[in-house]
Amino acid sequence: MYTINDRSRDIGEFIPAEDDDMLICRCEEITKGEIRRAVHDGMFTLTEIRRYLRTGMGLCQGQTCSRLVKGIVAKELGISPAELEPATARVPMRPIEMNILAAEETEAI
Amino acid sequence: MKRYDLIVVGAGPSGLSAAIEAAKCGMEVIVFDENKKPGGQLFKQIHKFFGSKEHKAKIRGFRIGQDLLREADSLGVHVQLDATVMGMYMDKEITVRIGDGIQHYKGDSIIIATGASENMVTFPGWTLPGVIGAGAAQTMMNLHGIKPGNRVLMLGTGNVGLVVSYQLLQAGCQVAALVDAAPRIGGYGVHASKVSRCGVPFYLSHTIVKAEGNDCVTGVTIAQVDEQFKFIPGTEKHFDVDTICIAVGLSPMSQLLKMAGCKMEDNPRKGGQVPLCDKYGETSLKGVFVAGDVSGIEEASSAMIEGRISGIAAACSLGYITGSRLEEKYQEHHKALNGLRQGMFAPENRGKILKKTEEGIDISESLLQKGYLTADEIEKYPGVTHQKGIHPVMECSQNIPCNPCQDACPKKCIKIGENITSLPAIDEKAQCVGCGMCVAACSGQAIFLVDEDIGDGFASVTLPYEFLPLPQKGDMGTALDRSGRPCCQAEVLNIKSLPAFDHTNLLTIKVPAEMAMNARFFKQI
Amino acid sequence: MSDCADVIIAGGGIIGCACAYYLAKRGCSVIVLESSDHIGNGGSSRNGGGVRQSGRDPRELPLAMYGIKNLWPSLSDELEVDCEYHQDGNLRLGKTEEHINILRGLTTRAKACGLEVEMIDAEAVQSINPYLSKEVAGASWCPTDGHANPLTTTLGYYKTARKLGVRFITGEPVTELRKIRGKVRRVVTSNGNIYEGETIIVAAGLFSRPILNSIGIDIPMQKVMLEALVTEARAHMFDQMLGTAEADFYGHQTKHGSFVFGGTLGLEGFTRDNGTPVTNSLAASSTCRGIIKYFPMLADAKIVRTWAGWMDLCADKVPVISPVDEAPGLIAACGFSGHGFGIAPAVGYNLAQLVTEGRTDVNLHDLRYNRFCAKA
Repeated sequence: MYTINDRSRDIGEFIPAEDDDMLICRCEEITKGEIRRAVHDGMFTLTEIRRYLRTGMGLCQGQTCSRLVKGIVAKELGISPAELEPATARVPMRPIEMNILAAEETEAI
Repeated sequence: MKRYDLIVVGAGPSGLSAAIEAAKCGMEVIVFDENKKPGGQLFKQIHKFFGSKEHKAKIRGFRIGQDLLREADSLGVHVQLDATVMGMYMDKEITVRIGDGIQHYKGDSIIIATGASENMVTFPGWTLPGVIGAGAAQTMMNLHGIKPGNRVLMLGTGNVGLVVSYQLLQAGCQVAALVDAAPRIGGYGVHASKVSRCGVPFYLSHTIVKAEGNDCVTGVTIAQVDEQFKFIPGTEKHFDVDTICIAVGLSPMSQLLKMAGCKMEDNPRKGGQVPLCDKYGETSLKGVFVAGDVSGIEEASSAMIEGRISGIAAACSLGYITGSRLEEKYQEHHKALNGLRQGMFAPENRGKILKKTEEGIDISESLLQKGYLTADEIEKYPGVTHQKGIHPVMECSQNIPCNPCQDACPKKCIKIGENITSLPAIDEKAQCVGCGMCVAACSGQAIFLVDEDIGDGFASVTLPYEFLPLPQKGDMGTALDRSGRPCCQAEVLNIKSLPAFDHTNLLTIKVPAEMAMNARFFKQI
Repeated sequence: MSDCADVIIAGGGIIGCACAYYLAKRGCSVIVLESSDHIGNGGSSRNGGGVRQSGRDPRELPLAMYGIKNLWPSLSDELEVDCEYHQDGNLRLGKTEEHINILRGLTTRAKACGLEVEMIDAEAVQSINPYLSKEVAGASWCPTDGHANPLTTTLGYYKTARKLGVRFITGEPVTELRKIRGKVRRVVTSNGNIYEGETIIVAAGLFSRPILNSIGIDIPMQKVMLEALVTEARAHMFDQMLGTAEADFYGHQTKHGSFVFGGTLGLEGFTRDNGTPVTNSLAASSTCRGIIKYFPMLADAKIVRTWAGWMDLCADKVPVISPVDEAPGLIAACGFSGHGFGIAPAVGYNLAQLVTEGRTDVNLHDLRYNRFCAKA
């Protein structure tokens, strides 16, 4: 069992920091402070952070920020980034217009 | 549904190599790449590669790319460009955006060779226009012919940071400084020395405090950091720059594998999340292979070999070659791969502080911290001798797997021997004729031809020169030492540009004799 | 830390989190056991965010109406997260005569249950949502319906319950329930841990069935995979929840500006997975075609992400929310059949009442576990 699975784990109080207003997820404009605060709200996994704040959910799909978010969350939890689960990846690899996605070859499977 | 024996995603070094090997075995292969030009990162690499002959050493990266494309083409590999693979699904099915529609394809085998993306670091102002990835800068310069800025600060001294800094100089940009939070330069010493002798300062144990500017970067402040990477107050330094390049590593682009349900691992030594795979690159999904950076960050040379291995493994999985043939070819490729993974920069040495070379010579701290060897240190290396008449001076001080200089010399002056990582040594019995083949063959631009006495108290130094416009015979200028500081006046005696040199021009300058072992670069006035 | 609590909840989705929150508020000690590594990792974070009454089966409609009247309006304040709740109505759209007939049937049935819903014509549709295709011939209109953000709502319940002292343990799949002296008290997990409580609530979605099987209770439900997608953010256009008569797609524009749409492929119940819900190569394209038919102006909106989720489809498409008579101490809350999100607050609230007071505001009789009978 991962240590982070016990959500009552004491990670201390949220302590404001000087760089809390630094933008981390550029697509969704999420700051470092918001991410740190979310960890103290109990969001202990990258998946929960994404769902709670929308980090990595924008046009770049976390290409730039997922590594940064991982580092921030791990530090706040006092664990190594490798202990956190991988961020999920979902279709499509690149944003694609609805009419293009809709225009597929019609041959049956 | 359209179905191929093998679908390769990514037309970079590993993808093309995989496609070539598979096609050679008789497979019907299609390669998709989202870019308009094939070759992946190879087409941005204008420098000469390291390694041995079998690794295509001393050939410029983009030429290797051209060769791979030609070979793939001649084998009937279908390379579909401007085709973005959108998703990978069950049954080895992919969807590809081609033009204004979506196409479905299935492969009896799939090789994912999607490469890597650049890492970012944050500091106040990191989102300002003008803060760019070093790879992006390289794309702008080498693919699109656009200068990324006029005055650039580079963060990161791995090979990417070093190589791109040199290319920025070649493109006519000023490089204000190279900065790294680590206490030592991460990339090859020879790459660092190329930049250093042009006069670019290195700031190790430093990082960016903030990027300045309102609408775009107008400056940057760096400061020294302690062992915990905390800023040391009072050590701030300011530079007026319009561009900040970030070269802090790469992450595997493994999303397609993740979405298809491959078992992944988070491996910091491989650069992040990579699929678990066997020695042939086969993942937890049967018939789905990986090659190149997506399976762990390395160099293009190893990516090409990994591609070849996964290509033959895919062929074997579908009965195009026998298991024993696969094993035979695998051993051959594995040997080549091992050759690349040796020396000071071998994966097992990552993060270690080495004190001595394989030859037992002290490793230069100056090289690791400032980017250049000192005049005293240089004398310790086996490539540096003093002889009458013209002779090579090889300022190669780190054990890296590379040996083109040995074969380049028609007179057999240079010895590396069986061990590819050994430092090159001079065979004093052989007679240098000053042809300069070794100077042009050295991918690290670390070989100089020196004649310590050409009469009248002067010496001649022949150095590799890859800047335009080329100086002309008779031009006067300043000779710079290894640290890039002016050391004396210099006159251009000759400039030689042979096709065999492949755009590495040999510039011969006349300097006072006492500067023969100091003058290593030439600045036109 | 003690592995005993007043209530042990199997399942950390929105039902489990809402139950935990309302129970903790009533002073109960609660332990929530979630099988995955993430809170709300099943349907709770994969649904389309509808908070609807229209289109619901009369048996569950009272719960939907109760939640919309009493709980949803103040939920953001109560949980101190932005649940992004909008009560701006639901349009169920039709283009053909056949569609309109389907919608009329639904409307008549809903009205009979006391729901404020009506059929409106093309012009009225355009006045409510001018961005829709002019081909829309009419719609059923329920002005008190709406939508919310399932992610922040689920995690909001979790966050607030956690603050009230509820113990959440993820990566802890429940495998077995055990009776002690005639009462269901113990919960065994695959990690070999045993938890004990006065009341056990099983709200584990699809996984509720094997958990309940361990104590000899079977609820007929089926695993069906559904898919949804989200676009890039666009300027604000409308606030209604949308659906269609032929169920090509459903969805809404979020506060963030993106459009969340769900759709069906036509092969639901017959698709495969590899152990996790995976998208089908054909589904997103099919949903996009459905959306463009109704929203031509969204044709160039970029799809950023698609995802899939399993629903726990009950044999009669209505959930089981019920104490289990033959297993005292056990409450089942599962089989939500793809429309559990909107009623989750009401379910949590009423089950907390059931545990602490032995009664509920909403009569749950029609949702009892033993209602499934063979043909007469």
